[in-house]
Amino acid sequence: MPLYETVMQEKPPIVLDIGHAYTKLGFAAETCPRKIIPTKLVLTTTGQSKRLFDYERNEELHDQMVDFLQMIFFKHLLVSPKERKFVILENVFGQTVIRETLARVLFVHFDVSSVLFVPSHLMALSTLAAPTAVVVDIGYNETSIMPIFSGVQIMTAFKDQSYGGRAIHEEIKRQLLREGIIEGDDVALLTEIVLEDIKIRTCFVTTFERAQARLNTDGEQPTPPPSVDYAICDSNKVIQIPGLLRETVYELMFEETRERDSLPHLILRSILDCTMDVRRALVEGIFLIGGGSMVMGLVARLKQELQHLLQHDEIYKDRFHGALEFKFFPSICKQNYSLWLGGSLCGATDLIQMRSLAKEAYLKNEHVPDWSNLCDNNRHAGS
Amino acid sequence: MSFMQPIPVKYACSCGILNPINKLFFCRHCPKLRCGYCVCHEIESHFCSNCLENIPSSEARHKKNCCANCFDCPCCQHTLSARATTVAVVRKPDEAKDKEAQSGAGGESGSTTPLKPSSVPATKKMYYLSCLSCRWTTRDVGIPDQGVATGTWPDNECLYQLRFNSLLEYYQSVVLQEKQDRQEFLRRKSPKQHKFPSLTDRTGLTVSLIRRQIGWNEKTLPKSKPISISPTEATADVEQLPPDIFTEPLNLRQVTTIAQRLSQPRDQPTAVGNLYPQRRSLWIKRSLRCRQCEHNLIKPEFHPTSIKYRIQLFASHHVPEVVMVRCEQPLKSGQKNAIVVKITNPTMYDMTIRILDALPEEEEQLTTEMLQQACKIKEEAVTSSPLLRAAGITLTRQNSTREIKREVNELSNTLIEPLESEFVLSQRDDSKEFDEDIQARSEIEEPKFIVWRKGNKVLLRLQFTPEATSKISDEVVLSFYMQYTYVNTVANTTEKKEPTTQALYSRLFIQAGAIEKE
Repeated sequence: MPLYETVMQEKPPIVLDIGHAYTKLGFAAETCPRKIIPTKLVLTTTGQSKRLFDYERNEELHDQMVDFLQMIFFKHLLVSPKERKFVILENVFGQTVIRETLARVLFVHFDVSSVLFVPSHLMALSTLAAPTAVVVDIGYNETSIMPIFSGVQIMTAFKDQSYGGRAIHEEIKRQLLREGIIEGDDVALLTEIVLEDIKIRTCFVTTFERAQARLNTDGEQPTPPPSVDYAICDSNKVIQIPGLLRETVYELMFEETRERDSLPHLILRSILDCTMDVRRALVEGIFLIGGGSMVMGLVARLKQELQHLLQHDEIYKDRFHGALEFKFFPSICKQNYSLWLGGSLCGATDLIQMRSLAKEAYLKNEHVPDWSNLCDNNRHAGS
Repeated sequence: MSFMQPIPVKYACSCGILNPINKLFFCRHCPKLRCGYCVCHEIESHFCSNCLENIPSSEARHKKNCCANCFDCPCCQHTLSARATTVAVVRKPDEAKDKEAQSGAGGESGSTTPLKPSSVPATKKMYYLSCLSCRWTTRDVGIPDQGVATGTWPDNECLYQLRFNSLLEYYQSVVLQEKQDRQEFLRRKSPKQHKFPSLTDRTGLTVSLIRRQIGWNEKTLPKSKPISISPTEATADVEQLPPDIFTEPLNLRQVTTIAQRLSQPRDQPTAVGNLYPQRRSLWIKRSLRCRQCEHNLIKPEFHPTSIKYRIQLFASHHVPEVVMVRCEQPLKSGQKNAIVVKITNPTMYDMTIRILDALPEEEEQLTTEMLQQACKIKEEAVTSSPLLRAAGITLTRQNSTREIKREVNELSNTLIEPLESEFVLSQRDDSKEFDEDIQARSEIEEPKFIVWRKGNKVLLRLQFTPEATSKISDEVVLSFYMQYTYVNTVANTTEKKEPTTQALYSRLFIQAGAIEKE
């Protein structure tokens, strides 16, 4: 055992969190990822840059995955993937094809020794050592909500919606076009990179009172914050970003719709989908993670919105009882790598030996066990 | 060789991917073409690309793949350079007094001219880091100047290191307990059944009894209890938006960009004032290994400043290079045309080359068989035939890495006329490059498809017809097989020492251009 442990220490498992926008990569038992890189790759065949998850055929995804991982191993981590152990953070409801392709690339192309797939929401919670929380992951492609009680994910209460970083970018673009700030051919200047830069440097989530005042179109509108002159990178153009845009782009997360799918509604509905006994505990532990949750003012606004809905919305008034106050967990690290940090903690324990999918097991039938597949998850079948 | 533009001639690698010859490798042991996709990449050595210092892998791991001396600018990711300044040193009181006394003794002029020619200027060299690209300096963010240029720059600490450590300890103990519980459960569930009854069982001398007699402690480890940890408390008071955000103008120069934030993954500062110099990431030298036979294809020289190789098996050193020269007529669909290609023999032996439009049957069978074999799991590879057994041994040694081969994409849309005869391409001879005289071969009757020949180079005329169905501005792609004899100087088996001559096949695709208008 001690010998084995020294071997372990020499080769710490690699922890990968491949997000839609950014990939967090590093080694287990370290406090922060070595690098956070855009999930983009330069194709070896044509030399063009491309997002990893933009693909048409499965073989294309496979080739892109090979190129992308190759870059990670030899440009960023500087380790040979051969005979390594891996911890991969995955969305519980993620696509099967991505996970199968990733496993195939790792085991067959890179010859790794074992891969441990871990559910991302649970791992994020492990950075708190708290057993119960509603984990809200605001990513690039989507926002997903998973209530966890006593370390068990309540799968039936999982909710997700398409507003994330991408939706915000589109909103910025839409508003800039509507205001006539960007016209004609200049639309091409608004690349994802520029939009993201505008988002993170100028935009914020406004307060509840101001948002309410804005909804009331007859009343007096609050004065928007000062505009910003923004020089677009790699071009001579300077645009003025109106204060209204800075304040209101994040409103699409809070827009009241009939579908009841704004972020506060989604959280409340998710809590309502859990059994009655656990609801109070969940209300008192909301944990925001993901790059999208790092924007200024989001937590304060979300709290006020939730409290407001609890008191004024008919449906929630009937179903939530007693004096409830929403509480939020402070993240120990920057939220965009909370998931990764959970994976790093997990990879440092013996779980990596107990629960990993070993190469031999994979090569036997070329399939990754999945909870949604009844061939693997037959606990209820009585066997 | 075409420079800075796509190369029209592509070779099909043994894995099925098309590549220009300068991206291909040639494994002499297999002997097959290999590309960057189907070889095994390995890390040869770590080095810093700025100071070109070689760093052993254990040290690199310890330093987290960062150079100890070089820093990157947090603002523009350029390399920072150390700049020296001279700073007047504040003297200690007694020293100053000494000086005063000296100057007092010297005369009254001491107060008016503080620097006397005899006194040494009390200065010291101090260093700060500065970016030559964006003019960022360590002074901008208040890092004090250092007395030594390298090695003493402070690293910013991880704020939650202690919490992380306790979390780590906690989870390790939880998992350990779970593991022990499971082992205990399994032990109880299935009591060990020995094939032979143990002596101690009969005598009633149990293991634990013996241990106790010897004076050892109990074999069963004391059960580990998970360490208790205080979970993070959720709070109701959350960070509010600063009220001045609605009134104060935003200064974009003070806000960091996403690239600047992510270059410091731990802190991700939003204000420019919190940027810290980042240690520069190391680079690596790679060596490439054939997946089939595990021989090195590329092995660089160890020293970072050297760009040479110890082993270099580039395809362009072993496989005849085909360069497209011109098409004789404008490309039109369904019209007979001819293309002139130049073939160069890079090896030290004469080559016999044939151009075919399809693989000979037995060869084709062999490749399809190999393809099938590669697709199968190679467990029962060892068979009775000694040759295959040898192959089997290499396969078992190679432990997996059975990359699934793919069929070469059928891109060709032309009919090619194979050359009626084979021809010999003479060896490479650097001295002949400068010969002006007509070559000695001229008396031999040349086949009529040969346009020109000099030394190890030959110009060929290949006739082809683009498909009648192809439309205007369609890309015309020619495809043919080139058979060439390759003299392998590497002895595959121990018995044979002399070089063997092998006939090898390469599939080539030439993008001749687009169909022109009528």
